[in-house]
Order: sequence, then structure tokens, then C-alpha cells
Amino acid sequence: MHDSTFKLTLRYLVSILIVGIFVFPIAWWGLTSVKPISAVFDKDRIVVFDFEPTLENYRVTVLGYSKRGSKEDGKTLMGTSGNNSYDGRSSIVSSVIVAVGSTLITTIIALLASFGLSRMQFWGSQGYLNWILSQRFLPPVAIIVPLVFIFHDMGLRDTHTGLIIAHTLINIPIAVLLLKSFMDDIPIDIDQAAMIDGATRFQCFWMVILPMVKGGLAATAVLCFIFSWTEFLLSLFLTNSIRTIPVKITTYVTSTGSEWGYISALGTSAILPSFIFILLVQRHLVRGLTMGAIKD
Amino acid sequence: MMRDHDSKADAKLIRLPRWLTSDHPFPWLFPASAMLIIFGLYPVLYSLWLSMFKRNPATRIETFRPSWNWSKVFADDRVIDAVSITLTYTLIALTIQLVLGLAIALLLDSDRKGFGLLRSLMILPLVVPPAVTGMMFLLMYDGSFGVISHMLYGLGLLSPSTPILAGGTSALWGVIIADVWQWTPFMVLIMLAGLRALPKDPFEAAAIDGATDIQAFFRLTLPMMSKIIALAVLIRGIDLFRIYDYIKVMTDSGPGTATETLTAYAGTIYFKNADFPYASTVALFTLILVVIIANLFIKIFKVRF
Repeated sequence: MHDSTFKLTLRYLVSILIVGIFVFPIAWWGLTSVKPISAVFDKDRIVVFDFEPTLENYRVTVLGYSKRGSKEDGKTLMGTSGNNSYDGRSSIVSSVIVAVGSTLITTIIALLASFGLSRMQFWGSQGYLNWILSQRFLPPVAIIVPLVFIFHDMGLRDTHTGLIIAHTLINIPIAVLLLKSFMDDIPIDIDQAAMIDGATRFQCFWMVILPMVKGGLAATAVLCFIFSWTEFLLSLFLTNSIRTIPVKITTYVTSTGSEWGYISALGTSAILPSFIFILLVQRHLVRGLTMGAIKD
Repeated sequence: MMRDHDSKADAKLIRLPRWLTSDHPFPWLFPASAMLIIFGLYPVLYSLWLSMFKRNPATRIETFRPSWNWSKVFADDRVIDAVSITLTYTLIALTIQLVLGLAIALLLDSDRKGFGLLRSLMILPLVVPPAVTGMMFLLMYDGSFGVISHMLYGLGLLSPSTPILAGGTSALWGVIIADVWQWTPFMVLIMLAGLRALPKDPFEAAAIDGATDIQAFFRLTLPMMSKIIALAVLIRGIDLFRIYDYIKVMTDSGPGTATETLTAYAGTIYFKNADFPYASTVALFTLILVVIIANLFIKIFKVRF
């Protein structure tokens, strides 16, 4: 507050330097995605920005064009899976279906549960909350083996529905606790006033509480979307042909070498939507990450 | 009139039992409970059941031997190594993230122009899928064209003959650095929220009494933030303990088993040996450790959600 100019300048410089260090890997990643392949692998040009920027990598991974030059010289292809193995379009579609689907289902289920937990007193409610919380601490590995068997028996293995269910499962605890914390902020008097006027519990939920937690609901939905969008382990175990972006990207690493241009292009495309979403709900982010324990 | 109308409406409706109406918590909690029981609780019990079978790798026949896998877990050197690697990883990464997070939060906690933008930029790493983070660092660590490797060569800290992820100790550090990069912003965010919520009066009083900034930090800021710090350590600690993505993408437990954490080991048994009963046992063992450590922590530091 009473900083001298020198101290203030120093603080700006150090802050910019540190934030710069944290932004650097992403910037580098973005830069790699527009480099021609020859520049990525040239060790004399690593930090020299002497290349023609190209969107070739995005053309192949996001738009699905076939790899340029592959027709003349098929032998230069890496791996054995052919041209289209770098086409990331189907994985983008899968990721969107799974993330949107699981976000919708999670928020609906969690809205109901959080209303019950926030508005009603019943025997065992604290125990129920603890049970939900403990689900958050469950390592996905601990349930993955039986989940594969169960999904196999139910015909859910390697389907979008199956992955939506799996992501819903890991998102429910966070969504319930978070929405409960938002509902707890609304005084119970409002419910009572509505019910004295003749509203049923459900009307009270639908017409009074729901409009009041809109902001919190948006924040919850964004976090669920991002968790599903970035999830890796469950997608890896539960699917073979349907690949979400994080799993698809790891398949670009082959024994003969890694296609860094394609990897970084698809990676950059995956980061962009989440970053835009998260900026929209930045205000509630801390509450979301601590499952409602820290209010903002 | 009014009453008449009501009773007519009631007569048309079938009377639901009270526990099926919206006045009772049951309908509200049913979808979430069903989901958590079928896909959360049941698999854990199924895991426990699976762990009681002994798999014969040659014949692939599984016979019921309840204690076989469990006695194997406690005698398995790789499990013991994995526990120590997991704990080392968790403690080192957690300490760095906490200290850095608090320091950066103090630095960025200002209302002056530009700090808001810096705080927003600081969130960026959080939205990167961990698998992509792993790839990013793989690219930067690459022995021949990785930018971080080249900086380290320049500083003389690394020789081109031993890439970062090829040495046992340096590979673990390589993964930890990726984790620190991604999750320090999480700590920064939580610490910033804590700092913003601190009351102003004690600090003004301390300044009048002639306390230095450092004294104010250790005597006022830290004690008042202790609850938030404990909460952040708990959430992050549990996530660190179940680390899987970075290890799988960056080192695949290697070189050798130098970066094999408990979850990575369970994954290896599953994918490479297809010994599902033993994979379940190791995974359950991880779960038990998480529950014990987390509950001890909650009791000692009185964390509340």
C-alpha cells in the first residue's frame, strides 16, 4: 500500500516473470503447432524463430485432410496405421458428446440431491454427505477393473453412454457438494414464505431456488465439463475405438517417433474451449475447486 | 367454495405414499444414490470379491483363495517400492506447490492495474488435460530438440548423454515438475481467496505496533490461513497420491520401475499381466492407504467441508 516506486516496479517485474514461466509451456506448445515439421526436429533452430508459420498440422488433425506428400512417398509415414490415424475429428466429436452428456446428467442429478441435502433435515444427512465426499477421494484405479467387467456385461464398454456414466460418477460428488454450498447461501425463510403461499416442495425448488442458483449452476456445469474434457484414466480403460482427445493424443506417440506437430495442434485445440469457459466462471472457481468449502 | 375445489382435485389424484412425494428427501436423493451405489460402491465390493481369487497365469484359471493376493501385496517388493515412490512424489510435489502457491499468491494479491490479468493467466495450466501436460513436457524434455533440455545443457546442469527422463532420480523430478507446473495455480487460487478474506484490522494494529512485514506474515497471516491451508493440502495430497496420468504418459513407470507409483503398478498388472485379481488387490490397497492417511489428516488438522 505504501510501496515505493522501486518496490512496485520490482513487484511488477517478478510477477510478470513468474506468470511468464507458467504460461511458457502453453505458448511453446502453440508455437510448435504452427511450426513446419522440419523446424520442430531441427536442434539448431530450437529457440530461433526462423520458420514459416503453417496451419498444416491443424488441417490434418482438426479438419481431417490427409497428410500432405504422403501419396508420392508412402514410406515416410510413421507407424503402420496409415494416413487417417492423425485425423482427430472423431475424437473431438467423442469428447464433445461425452463432456456435454455427462455435464447435463451430472447437473440434473446433483441439483436434486443438493436440494434435498440443503433444504431437508433427516436422520443420517451428515453421514450421507460424508459418503458423497468419500467418493471424491476414491482413486479411479480402485474401481476400474470391476467397472470394465460390469460395463462389459451391460454392453456399455466402448460406448459413449458408458463413458458418460463413468464421468458422471466421478463428477457427482463435486457437483453435489458445490451446489449444496450455493443453495445453503439462500436463506431458508424464502422457501418457507413460498410454502406458506401454497407452493409444494417441488414448485419451491423449480420456481424459487433454481432461478436463484443460476450462477452457481453455471460454475458447476463448467467445472464438470472441464473434468470430463480432461479425464484420461477412465477413458483409457473403458474404450477401445471411441477415443476422447486426451487418449487420442497419446496414440500419436509411436515407437518410431512422435508427430509433435499433430500432437501440439490437437492439444492446443483441446485447451482453447476449456480456457474460455473457465474465464466465464472465474469468480466461483475457488469454491468449485474446494467443493464448496471455501466461499468467495 | 375453495375447500370444495380442493377435495375434488384430491379425489382425482392417486394418493402417493409420503416417501414418494417431494416433501420427503427420498425422491431428491434417489438418482444420486442409485448412481453412486451401482457404479461406485458395487465396483468396490466387486473388487474386494475379485481380490480373493488366485489367478494361475499359465492355465488362466482363477481359484478361490481369500488371503492369497493380500499376503502377496505385503510381501511384494514392487509394492513396497511403489509406496515409497508414491509417498516421495506426494510429499515433494505437495511441499513445492504449497510454498510456491503461497508465495505467488502473496505476490499477486494486489488491486493495482494489471494484476487481475496476471491472475487470470495464472489459471491457464489448470484447464490443460493432464495427459496433454505430460506430452508438453515430453516435448520440452526431449534429449535432442527439447527446449528445457537445451537450457539445462547451456547451464551445464545436464549432459546430452543422459536425457531427463532416462535417469531414475531425474525422471521422478521430471514428472514432479510437470505436476508442479499444472497444480501450483490451484494452490495460488485457494491462497488468494484466503488472503482476500483476511480481516484488515489486526494488520493495521500490528503495523502501528511496529511489526515488520515478515513478523506480520508468520504471526498473523499464516495462523489465520491455517484452515484453508489444511484444506488445500488435503485435496491436493489425495490427488497426488492417486497420480496416474503423468506417469503413464511421460515415463510409463520407467526407467525400470523408478517412477512406478501404486496406481501405475496396478495399471501395469492389469494391462501387461492381465492378472485382474491382483490388480484389484493393489488398487484396493491404494484405496485403504488413501482413506487411512486422509482420515488421520482430517482428525489432526480438524478439516471441515
